[in-house]
Amino acid sequence: MVDAVRSAPWGWRALFVAVVLATLVVRLLPLGRAAGGWPAPDLVLCLTCAWVLRRPDYVPALLIAAMVLLEDLLLMRPPGLWTAFVLLGSEFLRDRASFSRELTFMAEWMMVAVVMLAMLAGYRLATALAFLPQQGLGMALAQVAGSILAYPVVVGASRLLFGLRKPATGEVDAYGRRL
Amino acid sequence: MARDRSAQQNFGRPVRRILVGLLVFLLVALFLLWRIDSPRVERLRVALVDRFVPGMDWAMRPVTRMVGMVEHFQSYARVYEQNQELRRELQQMKAWREAALQLEQENAKLLGLTQVRLDPRLTHVTGVVLADSGSPFRQSVLLNVGERDGIRDGWATMDGLGLVGRISGVGRTTSRVILLTDANSRVPVSIQPSGQRAILAGDNTPLPPLEFLEKADLVRPGDRVVSSGDGGVFPADLLVGQVVQGPDRRLRVIPAADYQRLEFLRVLRSHEAEPITDTGGLIAPPGGIAPPPDAAVDGSGGGSDG
Repeated sequence: MVDAVRSAPWGWRALFVAVVLATLVVRLLPLGRAAGGWPAPDLVLCLTCAWVLRRPDYVPALLIAAMVLLEDLLLMRPPGLWTAFVLLGSEFLRDRASFSRELTFMAEWMMVAVVMLAMLAGYRLATALAFLPQQGLGMALAQVAGSILAYPVVVGASRLLFGLRKPATGEVDAYGRRL
Repeated sequence: MARDRSAQQNFGRPVRRILVGLLVFLLVALFLLWRIDSPRVERLRVALVDRFVPGMDWAMRPVTRMVGMVEHFQSYARVYEQNQELRRELQQMKAWREAALQLEQENAKLLGLTQVRLDPRLTHVTGVVLADSGSPFRQSVLLNVGERDGIRDGWATMDGLGLVGRISGVGRTTSRVILLTDANSRVPVSIQPSGQRAILAGDNTPLPPLEFLEKADLVRPGDRVVSSGDGGVFPADLLVGQVVQGPDRRLRVIPAADYQRLEFLRVLRSHEAEPITDTGGLIAPPGGIAPPPDAAVDGSGGGSDG
C-alpha cells in the first residue's frame, strides 16, 4: 500500500508540502535567537533542487511557486521576487533532469551550487535595482554556502527517509510508461 | 506507448514554457505592486499571517516547550556556579533595593510638593510571543494581540524591564513587533547623565549602534540609554539599555530587555499628543479671544514647518 501511495505523484506532492510546512514551523518557533547569528541554510531551496533533478513530475512548477510564495509572505521578504528566482532556477534544473541522470553526484552538486549562486546574484541585483535595503553580503553568502553544503544531506535524507532516487534506465511508472 | 508520451512532451514543452513564463511574470508583477503600493500588499500579508500562524500554534507550542526544557536541563549541569553567581547578584540587588526605596520616598515627596500629575492614560496590554521572524535577516516577533485588543501601529513594546521594539503591522488577532536590533529600526534616544540625543539604529547585530551623536566624548560606556520621546515616536523615559564601546570603537547599546527569552511583552497604549498646528492660538489671555479669521490658513502652513 505504501508503494501504491509512493508511486502516485500526489502522495509525493503532499509530502513535499508537508516538509516545506515543517521547515517553516521550525523557523517560526519563538526560541529567541539572537540577532547576528549564522543564518541557517535554505532547506526549501535544497529540497526543490534535489527533487526537481530526481523526479521532476513530483514537484510541478505551480507547487514550487505556491510554497515559496507562502514562505516569502510569512518570513517578511519582498513577496514574489525570491519565488520568481526559485522558479527560474528550478526550471533550469528541470530541463537538465534527464541530462543529470548521466552525471556523477559531484558534477550534479557543482551544477546546483552554480545555480544557487546565480539565483543569489540575480536576487541581489533585482533588490538593488528596486532600491530596496540589501541584506549584508557576508550573511547572504554564508547562507548560500550553508545551502550548498546542506544539499548532499538533503539528497541523502530524501533517499533514506522517503526512498526518492533517480529513475534507472528503462524504469517504468505505474502506467507502464517510460520515465 | 513510450513514443506517444515523448511526442506529447515535445508538443507540450513550448506551452509549458509559456505557462511558466506567465507565472514568473505574475510573481514579478506582484513584487512590483508591493514596491509601488506597499501598504495594500502588506495588509494582505498581515491577513495571511493572522490566519496562518495562530493555526500553527498547536504544533509550535509543544516543540518550543520541549526545547526550553532541554535548555533548562543543560543549565542544571552548572547549577553550583549559577547559585554562586545568583548570591553575588542578590547582594548587589539588596544594596540597590535600599537605594530605590529611598529614591521612591524622595520622589513621592517631591511629586507631592510640585503637585505633578502623571499621565494616567499610559496603560498597557500584555501579549504572548507566538512566533519569530523565521529569517536571519529580520528581527521581529509576532504577538497574539491585535486589532481586536485595540493595538495600533507604532506603539512601544517592552518586556518587564526595557524597550523591545515597536508595533509594525497589526492583524485582527496578531501584531508584529519590529525589534530594536532589526536593520529597519530607528528610535530616538537620550543618554542619561549627559542628556545627549541620538538615534538607536538597528543593524541586525545583538548590540545596535548609536548614530547622530553630537558629542561622543560626553558619553561613556555604562551610561543609561532611555527613549527621548522626540518625534512623538515613543513615550519618553522608557529604559532602553546601557552604552558599551564595541571593538571597532563605535558606541553601541546593550538592550535592557532580555532578547534571548522574549515570552510576554507589554504593548504600551500611547495616545498621540495633541498636535500644535497654530502658533497664534498658544498665547492667549485667560479669558480667551476668538482666533483671527485667517488662523486656519496659517495653521495648515505652520504645521508642516514646526
